[in-house]
Amino acid sequence: MVVTGRAVLLALAATVAVALSGLIGAEVTAVAMGVLVALLAVDVVLAASPKAMRLSREGDTSLRLGDSATVSVTVANPTRRNLRGSVRDAWPPSARAAPRRQPLRVAAGERRRVRTTLTPTRRGDARAAGVTLRSVGPLGLAGRQRTLPAPWTVRTLPPFHSRRHLPGKLSRLRELEGQHTAMVRGQGSEFDSLRDYVPGDDVRSIDWRATARGEGVVVRTWRPERDRRILIVLDTGRTSAGRVGDTPRLDHAMDAALLLAALAGKAGDRVDFMAYDRRTRAQVRSSGKGSQVGRIVEAMAPLEAELVESDPAGLVGTVLGTQGRTRRLVVLLTDLNAAALEEGLLPRLPALTSRHLLLVAAVRDPAVDRMAAERGGADALYRAAAAERTLGERRRVTAELRRMGVEVVDADPEHIAPALADAYINLKARGRL
Amino acid sequence: MTAEAPAAPPQAPPPDRTPPPEGSRALRVWRSVRVPAAVVAALVTVSVLLSLGAERFPTGHLEPESVSPDGTRALVNVLEQDRDVHVTRSSAAAEEAVAAAGDDTVLAVFLDHRLLPEELDSLAALDVDTVLVRPSTRSLEAFAPGVEMTGREESEGFLETAPSPGCDLPAAEAAGDAHVAGELYTAPSGAVGCYPAEDGHALVRVRGDGTTTTVLGTGRPLTNTALDTAGNAALALNLLAAEDVVWLRPDPPQQEGGAGLWELLPSGLRWSLVPLVATLALLALWRGRRMGALVSESLPVVVRASETTEGRAGLYQSRKARDRAAAALRSGFLERTVPKLGLSADAAPEAVVAAVAERTGDDPGHLRSLLHPGRPDPYAGDDDSLVRLADELDERARRLR
Repeated sequence: MVVTGRAVLLALAATVAVALSGLIGAEVTAVAMGVLVALLAVDVVLAASPKAMRLSREGDTSLRLGDSATVSVTVANPTRRNLRGSVRDAWPPSARAAPRRQPLRVAAGERRRVRTTLTPTRRGDARAAGVTLRSVGPLGLAGRQRTLPAPWTVRTLPPFHSRRHLPGKLSRLRELEGQHTAMVRGQGSEFDSLRDYVPGDDVRSIDWRATARGEGVVVRTWRPERDRRILIVLDTGRTSAGRVGDTPRLDHAMDAALLLAALAGKAGDRVDFMAYDRRTRAQVRSSGKGSQVGRIVEAMAPLEAELVESDPAGLVGTVLGTQGRTRRLVVLLTDLNAAALEEGLLPRLPALTSRHLLLVAAVRDPAVDRMAAERGGADALYRAAAAERTLGERRRVTAELRRMGVEVVDADPEHIAPALADAYINLKARGRL
Repeated sequence: MTAEAPAAPPQAPPPDRTPPPEGSRALRVWRSVRVPAAVVAALVTVSVLLSLGAERFPTGHLEPESVSPDGTRALVNVLEQDRDVHVTRSSAAAEEAVAAAGDDTVLAVFLDHRLLPEELDSLAALDVDTVLVRPSTRSLEAFAPGVEMTGREESEGFLETAPSPGCDLPAAEAAGDAHVAGELYTAPSGAVGCYPAEDGHALVRVRGDGTTTTVLGTGRPLTNTALDTAGNAALALNLLAAEDVVWLRPDPPQQEGGAGLWELLPSGLRWSLVPLVATLALLALWRGRRMGALVSESLPVVVRASETTEGRAGLYQSRKARDRAAAALRSGFLERTVPKLGLSADAAPEAVVAAVAERTGDDPGHLRSLLHPGRPDPYAGDDDSLVRLADELDERARRLR
């Protein structure tokens, strides 16, 4: 049961009438209250039953964080009364559903579509909480209300801000392959093809044997290895929950991972993806050629940082056990947290590095760097000293990892994605994949 | 895609939105109510216990329940030992008590100015011995016509003067001297006047047809204070010598009639409260009714990544850990500087000091105490020297850049 402002006005009018009635107050009160109650009851009874409405949904199922999605509910009115009132399509607060409520009129036997725009502020799945229908009677005094289920899920994908770095990195990659317009000789270790010499080619790349067989001078071209396997591992343990700037480490890492996946896909490498803390949270296996970015984005969307300590032993075991025996580049996106890494990962590294090439990428917190530079007064120095201590531990772990043959990328949130892409391109250029 | 479904967040509602089980709801209500309920229960208990300890006695002049100096509880208690005392508060109750009592009854009337003339008349018409204590003029007319008030003899300390009876009334004679100084009355013919003073008698007994009316000019000899001095107690007991004593001390007459503001309002205005309440209820329902339930959402953890570093800074600061702070600042400086000097990270301290001294031109001895101090650390003494250490390190770093 709901009432409208009109019912309040009616009751107010009844109050005034009774107040002015003088000596026959009791009788006027009885009549006024009786009329009021009767009108409200008639309106409630005559309102179209919201329970009888049939709902169906359609609309977007996924969007990138920062974009908007439109989801619509179709309200069908199978009753013989006209539905007049309002409707609210309820979503979790972070989905920013708008408008919150909208007027609705559905004539008997007709249907009407209600659109709601979602602008989520968080990555992940948003589930519709239900559609509330409010049906007001013909007098507009009172009515009925009912919340009906209309399940729908909209998945908000990671924003992939680092897309803007992709063209630049791809051109570096093409440079590597010799396809660049500057006609630079392709670097790399894999024999690609023979072609005619053009002035400007490196004379060291002339294939004398082929030249002797044919008419003109022939050079060999080289290209980087293709079809290498890359495994991107996202650490979703407690260290990934910390916020650098306004965004958790996990989201910075996702951004970097997506750029790397896009780049590696273009370079012809196979990209697998795994998210792990104490168990596998998400996994994408490459299936043949083609970019895996879309599938990785889908897999990343519902991931949240778990407040548990990651299990490096389980991680190493999973990588070694289930990911085949071929050599691959394992990119571990985690935090260079001295305690966690020294206790967990370092002792188990040899098993991993003996078979695969490991690259550890970590987001560095600029706030700590700023703290280390604080001066003026003893209190600022205590903060600076604590920051120096953190940075020192980070340097120590980095040095330790490098000594064990691990590539380390440690960069600010703005630079982690391009830095990781550069590291990958460098490895490719050196033929280390 | 083989992405596993993420673990359900702790309070994520199931898609079909089943209401929470009834048990947990009752539990929640109980949890929210129990503390206020306990407080209220404690307050009630304490106030009940306090009120039990403090028995309150009514107060007032000649009040039979009062233990204050001008009360008469002592006399009533004494009387109750060998006769029935009926304490009444209105003339109607007194009449009933007189009617219910036996033949041998005394009606003692106090503060009779509180009684209406018609009540006085109806009491006077009763067939019973009466003792009037300091009666009003109207009461004298009703009970003892002919007895007039002639004067008043009241001393400041009334216990000082105890007149002697001076009459042949057995009750007064047996009691002897008593503190009866108060209003004085004439004794008409046929009446007995006792305790004579200049203007009249303090005690007058008039005989009617079969009953007697005794007028006492003051109630003071009956009060708790005066009862145990001179012949006061004996006089009182003698005057009230009967099997049943009906003690009438009327309550002040209640104000009756008159109209409050509520009665003066027109009935329409009074009745308009009903639709007004209905209006307010509808208003609350209109504004308060929500379109569907609130949607809950499990929010992510909000913790800054630099939290542990900040925490360590707080620890250093609160414990004044200058030695550790100095060591951290030094090692930070060295780790940044040593690679620039072309030395390996694990170069010997002496080599580092020599290299820095060569590049900056500083005194190697001073540099040694700055970079690799012995114990005690000269820069960890107080906050000022810690600041000096930071300044000197920054200066070296600038020069080595």
